[in-house]
Amino acid sequence: MAVAAAHPAISGHEDHIHPEPESFVAKYIFSIDAKVIGVQYMITGLLFFIISGLLAEVVRIQLLRPEGGFVSNDTYNGVYSLHASGMIWMTIIPLVTGGFGNYVMPLQIGARDVAFPWLNLVSFWLFPVAGVILMGSFIVGAPEAGWTEYPPISLQGPPGTSLWCVAIFLIGISSTLTGINFLVTIMKMRAPGMTFTRMPLFCWAQLATAMLNMVATTALAGALLALFLERQFNVPFYDPGRGGSPLLWQHMFWFYSHPAVYIMILPAFGIVSEIFPTFARKPIFGYKMIAFSSIAIALLGFMVWAHHMFTSGMAPWLQLPFMILTMVIAVPTGIKIFSWMATLWGGKIEFHPAMLFAIGFLVTFSFGGITGVFLSAVPVDLHEHGTYFVVAHIHYVLFGGSMFGIFAGVYYWWPKITGRMMSNKLGVWHFWTTFLSFNVTFLPMHWLGLEGMPRRVAQYRPEFQFWNDVASAGSFVLAASTLILIYNMATSLLRGKKAPANPWGARTLEWTISSPPPYYNFKTIPAVLKNPYDFGEPLPYLGIDPQVDEFGNPPAGQSARPAHV
Amino acid sequence: MAVSAINSSHDAVRIRYENVDETYRETRDLRLLGFVLFLVSDVVLFSAFIFAYLYLRNSVPDWPPITSTGHQLPRFDVAFAAINSCVLFGSGATMHFAMENWKHLNKAAFNLWMIATIVLGSLFLCGQAYEYHSVAITWAGSTMGATFFTLTGMHGFHVFVGVIYLVVLFLQANKGVYTGSKYFGLTAGTLYWHFVDVIWVALFYLFYLM
Amino acid sequence: MAQYTAPRKPGLGPGFWQVTIAMTILNAIASYFIANLDIDKYLPEAADPASDIDALFKFLSVVGNAIFVYVVGYIVYFCIVWRRRASDGPDAIGIQIHDNPRLELWWTIIPAILMVIVAFFSVRIWINLQNTIGDVLTMESIGHQFKYEFRYPRLKQSVYDDMHLPAGTPVTLHVTSADVIHSFWVPEVRLKADMVPGLVQTLRFTPEKIGTYRIICTEFCGRNHGNMVATLHIDSQQDFGRWLSRQFKAQGQGSGPIALASGQATAGQALFGQKCSTCHSVGAFDQKIVGPGLGHLLDDPTHPNLVTGEKPTPADIAHVLVNGYQGPDNSQGKSGPSIGVMPNRQANALSNSDIANLTAYIVSLSQTK
Repeated sequence: MAVAAAHPAISGHEDHIHPEPESFVAKYIFSIDAKVIGVQYMITGLLFFIISGLLAEVVRIQLLRPEGGFVSNDTYNGVYSLHASGMIWMTIIPLVTGGFGNYVMPLQIGARDVAFPWLNLVSFWLFPVAGVILMGSFIVGAPEAGWTEYPPISLQGPPGTSLWCVAIFLIGISSTLTGINFLVTIMKMRAPGMTFTRMPLFCWAQLATAMLNMVATTALAGALLALFLERQFNVPFYDPGRGGSPLLWQHMFWFYSHPAVYIMILPAFGIVSEIFPTFARKPIFGYKMIAFSSIAIALLGFMVWAHHMFTSGMAPWLQLPFMILTMVIAVPTGIKIFSWMATLWGGKIEFHPAMLFAIGFLVTFSFGGITGVFLSAVPVDLHEHGTYFVVAHIHYVLFGGSMFGIFAGVYYWWPKITGRMMSNKLGVWHFWTTFLSFNVTFLPMHWLGLEGMPRRVAQYRPEFQFWNDVASAGSFVLAASTLILIYNMATSLLRGKKAPANPWGARTLEWTISSPPPYYNFKTIPAVLKNPYDFGEPLPYLGIDPQVDEFGNPPAGQSARPAHV
Repeated sequence: MAVSAINSSHDAVRIRYENVDETYRETRDLRLLGFVLFLVSDVVLFSAFIFAYLYLRNSVPDWPPITSTGHQLPRFDVAFAAINSCVLFGSGATMHFAMENWKHLNKAAFNLWMIATIVLGSLFLCGQAYEYHSVAITWAGSTMGATFFTLTGMHGFHVFVGVIYLVVLFLQANKGVYTGSKYFGLTAGTLYWHFVDVIWVALFYLFYLM
Repeated sequence: MAQYTAPRKPGLGPGFWQVTIAMTILNAIASYFIANLDIDKYLPEAADPASDIDALFKFLSVVGNAIFVYVVGYIVYFCIVWRRRASDGPDAIGIQIHDNPRLELWWTIIPAILMVIVAFFSVRIWINLQNTIGDVLTMESIGHQFKYEFRYPRLKQSVYDDMHLPAGTPVTLHVTSADVIHSFWVPEVRLKADMVPGLVQTLRFTPEKIGTYRIICTEFCGRNHGNMVATLHIDSQQDFGRWLSRQFKAQGQGSGPIALASGQATAGQALFGQKCSTCHSVGAFDQKIVGPGLGHLLDDPTHPNLVTGEKPTPADIAHVLVNGYQGPDNSQGKSGPSIGVMPNRQANALSNSDIANLTAYIVSLSQTK
């Protein structure tokens, strides 16, 4: 109550707003504005998405024929390793945390920026440096042993493996600093009246992700440092011939890398949790359960890492607790899926591209989650580990999950960020070509794996050719479908319709300010009275700018709704 | 009489602190949480290597391990390390006294205790250098060397950075950057220095006593 | 501004229960189909734990399929029934419901119970795997860049690329690596173990189906990882024995020349009683049990040669003991008992001194009249 009384709208005195920086460099290059940094992350992330995607196409061309031959085996091994490393560390994680997190989260909690803007700047600039080092490793011989780089082979590998260690170490520092930044921001800088149960679910997701980012990443830093020291200075950690242990790497690596997959998916959960209510025109169903299950998933995510190691040679009894805990995680995840489905029930569903991708996400991520249960059952994993079944699972949850969430977020927040509208028609085309070609590409990989095709191979036995060719054909269409998105973005920037403050009639705070927002976000920090998901009622905020009326609609005559396609 | 004098000065300090403007208090809260979280992530970094040490130690039947030539590496000498540890823990105590004096606005005493902390911290580093020189194992020669030098090296690096940070804080304090009520930098420095101490407790136990 | 609220539709929506029933029927049909699927037809279940693992896989498929059908089915149904229509004004909103604690309780409890059941069956099969028997044939496989090495108990030298196992014999396979991490996987056996340098992992299984299968490396091991494949031959017991002895021969006896002169007849007699008397008597040649009587090999005028056609000298007797006797080919349809197969020295576990002693004993039988 004292907090509300201190609110300027009630107490009467204005917030102090710093003047905007003047120079081009301070405004757009070395900016400390979270919105600018967010856009920088998004552009850089999109660039690495394209690079890593092209690497995937090299893989798929090689795998058109059993004998390979498109590139040398050494090149191929570097290609698939950098595809994975690039997608995980230079695309998905930066986009969902640094990209959407930086732009949307401060707006949604009614803040002007994050807690430590200069730290944010450092976090961002580590990203392109790390990315260049990673992709540049081709010059000296790219790392060849996947994104997991198991020793002993990674001890001998090409020089690029050491560069890989440096690159991932740097992006890890970036992630850790972002995690600390976001955690403090969400804990301390929410607008007056925004209790945790009034906070948008996207911010809950960012909170859980920040916890993971902050705690798990330094464990990876330790593993990488040890690998680097062993490669460069012969310091024995992993070489079994000198008292080291290859399994030590696996434990340390997966202790980070399992939470990493939750870092990649939780923000996507947050994105779709905003999109479903907006385009079904009703509250998110089960807000509290979605919020708490995010935290539960984050905590449980620390306890399951060895399900990547069932065949590794660790003590067999360890398989049991890790199998059971992994199955336990399915429960909070299932709760979310049912809650999103229940948000669709009873709605007035509009099939805007953002909503299409959110619904597509629900389908593909569920499928990926189910194959995850297969992999968690040790007896079945003994057959499926290290095969294309795992590759299929990975892509259903990371592409069908995280990337679909990212695409959904792009369509949703594009008007807010750029001040322009995208073409809905192109968005629908993008969705259907992506969704269908995605399934054509990755569904066959399930039975390729079950029938005996291992992963990370530049050649394979002839009996697997047919489905590999189907998958490759699908991947070419998938790659082409991304062009639709890029074209849509380009034409929107060049001649898209100007976007109103709230084209979708959404209710979280970012939609109460102009598109794009002024550099200071809010003239006065609003006070929050209720959760944001009650459609049909006035917006539960005090002291917002009159960009929208009390129901969140633009002034009369400017409605961008209905957002029919 | 002495008690009530201390009490009243306590009250004076407290009132002075609570009258600090809200903006500073909010900023200080943000920065304190951020700094604590940074220390947490640093603890995880050390924990990862401590895990590696325990795992590697557990995977061989003998510790210190037996080399390929058949002889067993020697255990570390506890006595010297114990003395050096006391030096470091002593610097933790002096840091505490420095902070107390700052809060009670005793500038001169603060300066003295700060210098003592910096000196003791530097002495610890010299002690570590001597220890590195005198141990019979090498960094690349065994997993014992690998874990010992990497972990104590990381710790020593943290101490080194800490000493520099303390020097900077000392100079800042004397330039008037901090007041009796706004001294977040000193708080951060104290936290960091105690963190370095706590890590050393773990490392001393793991390498010298266990 | 007037608040527009959507009129509350009664119930869960038009056709909700019909759709639910339809999905349930679909699931029932799919479950029946999955449960009766003969996985063996697509990927042979060539060894003992494979059918257990396939059973768990089918169970997970039934559960997973059911969940997926319901999830996707309801999503599609909701998108159709609850879509915004052209007749809805721009301010149309959905049913403003935030939660339903009872529903949420049930959709937490039921999946939790389902996961408990999944865990229960998974643990059951896992325990079965831990208790698989082995140990009748214990051998090793060592991974190299980029081939598999196999070590058998009686072969001095290793075999590469082709692994033979006898059907029906519980096998204990120890695996490790000589360089980087590899993996030993036979899809038809459904078992996999990483081959880690400095560590030994153990697989236990009983080969069952005679045939040829693939051994595949599933852990990236370098440039030719994709080509690191070997062949597993599951043979009949006899074929395995023959293969093993061929290997032994190909490796050149291995244990050096046999010193016949130092054979001890008394030791040979004891050994004869242990290993030979089941099939051979010490009477005349015609006193057959399974093989001919060995009492007068050297001086029986009615049977001047050994069964191999060689002269009955000590060296030739030793030769039969070493190589066994395969018998003439009875596949031309002759009825009656075949002349039988005499096992070779590996199958009989005869060392060089054993052979020398036995030979001395058999020779001594002929010298006593």
